[in-house]
Amino acid sequence: MEMRIAPAMSMMDKLNILAEAAKYDVSCSSSGSSRSGDGKGIGNTVASGLCHSFAADGRCISLLKILFTNECIYDCKYCMNRRSNDVPRASFTPDEVCELTMEFYRRNYIEGLFLSSGILYSPDYTMELICQTVYKLRTVHHFQGYIHVKAIPGADAALISKAGFLADRMSVNLELPTAESLRKLAPNKHRKTILRPMKLIQNGITQNRNELVLYNHAPRFCEAGQSTQMIIGATPESDYQIMAVAESLYQKFSLKRVYYSAFVNVNQDKELPALPGGPPLLREHRLYQADWLLRYYDFTVEELLSEERPNFNMMIDPKADWAVRHLEQFPVEINRADYRLLLRVPGIGVKSARRIINARRFGRLNFEDLKKIGVVLKRALYFITCGGKMMYPTKIEENYIVRNLTYQNFANRKERQLFSGDGMQYEQMSLFS
Amino acid sequence: MPEEKYLICEDSMEGVFTGIYDAYAFREGHEHLHIQIGEEENLRLFASYLYITPDLVKTRKVAETIQKRLGTDVYMSICRALSTEDAGKGQAVYRTVVDGITNGSGRRVLENSMNPYVDTVFRLSRCAANEIHRLMEFIRFQELKQGILYSRIGAKCNVVSFLMPHFADRLPLENFIIYDEKRELYGVHPAGKEWYLVSGMERKTEDELLMSEKEEAYQELFTMFCQTIAIKDRKNLKLQQQMLPLRFQEYMVEFVKK
Repeated sequence: MEMRIAPAMSMMDKLNILAEAAKYDVSCSSSGSSRSGDGKGIGNTVASGLCHSFAADGRCISLLKILFTNECIYDCKYCMNRRSNDVPRASFTPDEVCELTMEFYRRNYIEGLFLSSGILYSPDYTMELICQTVYKLRTVHHFQGYIHVKAIPGADAALISKAGFLADRMSVNLELPTAESLRKLAPNKHRKTILRPMKLIQNGITQNRNELVLYNHAPRFCEAGQSTQMIIGATPESDYQIMAVAESLYQKFSLKRVYYSAFVNVNQDKELPALPGGPPLLREHRLYQADWLLRYYDFTVEELLSEERPNFNMMIDPKADWAVRHLEQFPVEINRADYRLLLRVPGIGVKSARRIINARRFGRLNFEDLKKIGVVLKRALYFITCGGKMMYPTKIEENYIVRNLTYQNFANRKERQLFSGDGMQYEQMSLFS
Repeated sequence: MPEEKYLICEDSMEGVFTGIYDAYAFREGHEHLHIQIGEEENLRLFASYLYITPDLVKTRKVAETIQKRLGTDVYMSICRALSTEDAGKGQAVYRTVVDGITNGSGRRVLENSMNPYVDTVFRLSRCAANEIHRLMEFIRFQELKQGILYSRIGAKCNVVSFLMPHFADRLPLENFIIYDEKRELYGVHPAGKEWYLVSGMERKTEDELLMSEKEEAYQELFTMFCQTIAIKDRKNLKLQQQMLPLRFQEYMVEFVKK
């Protein structure tokens, strides 16, 4: 038998392999932490987060998103790095990760590090490597920028807690919305082992908050909270099921963010759906819109979807969809409605609702003022009055409004642009034929 | 009928603040006073033009009054609005200050979006804030032979002085320079010391801007990283350009074709 010894791999090759292997992880946020530098090291964090570049798919590049290694003992059917795939494998050393992070950060290429990993030997072994790397970055290199690390399911609680004190954010991927799908596609993973570290992190954050009340200088534990992600469209769950899972994650695990990742069929596995039209990007977009409604607009999943209507309307966004089905609550008088009610009007967002409330102190608002404030009048006009008057006479009738809000007329040139590649035939779809 | 007076101010914070000081000093109300930046091409009949020389003492007094009566947030918004290149910014700031002080709206003055001057200051300030935010994101430093980190930008507004505190906090132990080529303005941060601005300095020669030995390797690594991280099945160049307009791309290593 011929022995083949791989020549030492260059940094270029390693980064290429381990960035390629990490790219299906969605989160790239660097928000949620706000920390000044201490003047002795390098780095700070900005509450809003910073996106340092944008890739050709339009996704932001905020963090150096890499795997520590793409070796993996698991064989998840949807994953490029599964054991049974014949792909080039590589591993970083902790020093290499530190060097890349520091040199990229100094040049303002990145906001920090997002370190994930395949499972090398065991969850504990892998988590230990992640901890070592991040520990070095924080203590040897005095790096004070943003760090996001994965908690490896099945790793020891002590290791997860150690990582939590070094990182701004941690995440455990739910992978798939239901335990059943997980069993089918990720035979080595179990719902329980995924939820356990999530709970650990949540407890760590709560405990830390209490310590901070007692003394200000307690070390921070995951200041930017924790997040998770689910793959959408690989398994048959409805939007209703998916959103219900997200809602309970927000409520029971106090997650900062749930990410939805349109399934990309990298392995052509026979257990997985073929997607001739490409990944379900518009569906993913609708889920994010609904997610926003849960987190910032005071909506509940039950208001948006039900057993009878388990999926979002692809033609119009979830908020407009809700509004046209609740015309009895409109029109809303701009000069009187409270904040929560304003938020329910299509065309009024969090910022414009705030500005309306503030500006009302100075006098009565008219439609011209609303335009200046940033209200999208062509969407809002069916749902509001100013001083008792509508912008112009219009039918208040569901089908009529839907027709005017949908893409054929004007509403979603932007959406068309964003999702023209996902194989949806918008032109041929009609709600009314 | 009282005469319209135009106070011609220099395009700077000192210029406009001195103008506001002098406008108040007339003590004849604000209706017929206008602050204008730079010369007007078509002079009006029946109006008088006064040239205002920037004055540090007056500037400081106005700055202090704004901070005290309208608060630090409004003060910062006003500074940002003045960093833009809008021709009406001087007048808008002047009348916003008047509105905040006479109306008693104080810290809330910028919420009065029904006042067109206030609305202008709000919009200009937001525009500058966006530019500052984007440059915090998109600035690229190159390491020069001398170990200095050097960045060249072409900003839409005069924002170097807003960028320096952010980077000074972030990179306290680095020598770095941000050069705004549209305004020939340098922000300089010597390692471990306070930052300062330099204008009217001669452009750095190519020799002075030679890259360090390892610089190119990191540029290549990052360029490759940006290409690799994109998901091909989701390719969307329009979205990319919408998020990252071309005017920034021309200064960024990952977009500059070698």
